[in-house]
Amino acid sequence: MTKKILIIEDDAAVADYLQTFFEDNGYTAFTAISAQGGYELAKKEQPDLITLDIELPDEWGPRFYRKLTADKALKNIPVIVISGLSGNKYAVTKAVASLSKPFDRDELLKIVKETIG
Amino acid sequence: MFKKILFATSATNACDHAARVAFDMAQRYNAHIDVFHVIGVPTRGFSQVVVDLTTGEQVVLDDNYRDLVKEEIRAYYDHQIQKKTDYAIEVAIGEAHREILRLARHTQPDMIVMGGSTGAAGAYASRRNITGSTFQRVAKAAHCPVMVINRPAGSFWGGFSNIVFGTDFSEAADAAFEFSFNLAKTFDCEFHILHALDITGCQINAFQSQDDIDDRIRKAHQQIRFRYVRKMEGFKNFSAEVWEGIPFVEIVKYAREKHADLIVMAHHTRKDGDSEDAIGSIVEQVILRANCPVISINRSIAK
Repeated sequence: MTKKILIIEDDAAVADYLQTFFEDNGYTAFTAISAQGGYELAKKEQPDLITLDIELPDEWGPRFYRKLTADKALKNIPVIVISGLSGNKYAVTKAVASLSKPFDRDELLKIVKETIG
Repeated sequence: MFKKILFATSATNACDHAARVAFDMAQRYNAHIDVFHVIGVPTRGFSQVVVDLTTGEQVVLDDNYRDLVKEEIRAYYDHQIQKKTDYAIEVAIGEAHREILRLARHTQPDMIVMGGSTGAAGAYASRRNITGSTFQRVAKAAHCPVMVINRPAGSFWGGFSNIVFGTDFSEAADAAFEFSFNLAKTFDCEFHILHALDITGCQINAFQSQDDIDDRIRKAHQQIRFRYVRKMEGFKNFSAEVWEGIPFVEIVKYAREKHADLIVMAHHTRKDGDSEDAIGSIVEQVILRANCPVISINRSIAK
């Protein structure tokens, strides 16, 4: 069974790129363009990994993460922060990695493989 | 609760994190925001020649120059000023802390928002209280809460929902409690009370027995119940903890563990007559390190 990745990203171009990139590498990917949409999709799909933008239209990434970790079923899903904001690596302390845009796709794939196989 | 915000800024990237929170707060709570910048210090008393604090150049201050600076500030924050933002841009000359306090006395804001240090870190920051001398001076004398956002990570904000109140059981801490609890009630927040028990004596071989530490923890819990919990009638969404260790480390850890979006602490908790450097070093260290905005409350607010 393929591993599932949830992409939470409001920039359509980046989201599209990530979705295609993950699918090309054998993962099933879903995209949400808001924190609320991401939370609902996470509940529904129970992804193996989430990539999270910090600045979303309805919520900041760290607050989304707080909500995620308050849910017993979702709290242990690994999160990779992908953001263009300075200081993003400190925004979600328990994130498995934080990448700054523009990110290196090989580095991203390496982190994903190390995290979920 | 926040109808008027005074955002004191250098209008440089050192204040970008504070700007993000200040403008977010203004929009979220429909507050008026005064964006205030001190241009510089006159080269001599009442002189129109001013050393611009941002550029370091001597400039002749006239209305044109003031308007130019205001327009630069407006352009700098253009992406954060929304259509609905109720704002004004004010500039002044003089010592920054004095002018901020002067404007605060005049406009009576509900909150002063400032950036923190411009780069203090590491061992130097641990030895010296260097959140920024302007902050120190404003925070000591302001008659309203002062919010500081020092780290970029503290600016990914989104409103009040989860507040940590750090206490040392002082009179100023009581004022910080009143403020933070009111905030928690008003915005229906989770409210976390923490007393960080200082056991740093062990670093100089002044070890305490575990019985002593446990006794102090028990007494601190009693203090929390006596000073705070009994005033929180009907409010259920709270927790109270006593953590032993290095106080500022424990507070930062606790806030991180609770995913706090605000820390409220008192500073200058000692009695009147303290020297210039008496501002609380713990709150300063928390400001330097926290992953969220920190509000400091001084003793004058308690009175």
